[in-house]
Amino acid sequence: MNAHLFSTRAGHFSLLCVRTKCNLTPEAEKLLHIEDEIRDRLEHAFAPRLLEVTDDSERHRGHAGWREGGQTHFNVMIRAEAFKGMTRLARHRAVHAALTPALVARIHALALDIDV
Amino acid sequence: MTDAKTQIDDTVKSNDVVLFMKGTKSMPQCGFSSRVAGVLSYMGVEFTDVNVLSDDAIRQGVKDYSDWPTIPQLYVKGEFVGGCDIITEMTLSGELDKLFETQGVGYDKAAAEKIREANA
Repeated sequence: MNAHLFSTRAGHFSLLCVRTKCNLTPEAEKLLHIEDEIRDRLEHAFAPRLLEVTDDSERHRGHAGWREGGQTHFNVMIRAEAFKGMTRLARHRAVHAALTPALVARIHALALDIDV
Repeated sequence: MTDAKTQIDDTVKSNDVVLFMKGTKSMPQCGFSSRVAGVLSYMGVEFTDVNVLSDDAIRQGVKDYSDWPTIPQLYVKGEFVGGCDIITEMTLSGELDKLFETQGVGYDKAAAEKIREANA
């Protein structure tokens, strides 16, 4: 947990694996930045050649689901060979699965731009 | 099936085009729902709108029904097509036109072309 928070972005990959093996309390989980968690999980699942995760919450200020501090609305742009041959629905389902239902439930809005 | 699932199943199978959305087509309550409803309306597609905000059982039930975590959700002839991102991409690529043509759903081709021109 501490190691994760102080790590550089490049170090997230291995640390995520460590993190998922230990039992963090729900409170501790909430401290993790959702944006980093999205990035970690997608990198881990798809080894993308391009990945941009943007917290778009500010643009939705005052809208339903928005809360102070952001981390409610995200845009994800991902390009990975792993999506080759998959239908649009399958690509989106694969991303949802990689993010896990628990994480998706914590996000109010998730805009996905997926391609190979 | 639960009551909600039965109700959803009946709705998508007895109406050619159904949009589960936040708000209604005349008064959308969310930008993503508004975009999909707007595209369908602009393209002159007759569709049934279901406001998930007026029924919590339907709001959760439709997510379980399609195994899809977000709203809006578009169904054509009982089949789940996608959410806002997918419908946007399909509109711009012309795939949505093809889907309506193969499913025998009426739409205004010229309007669809106008959307593509405006977003090229």
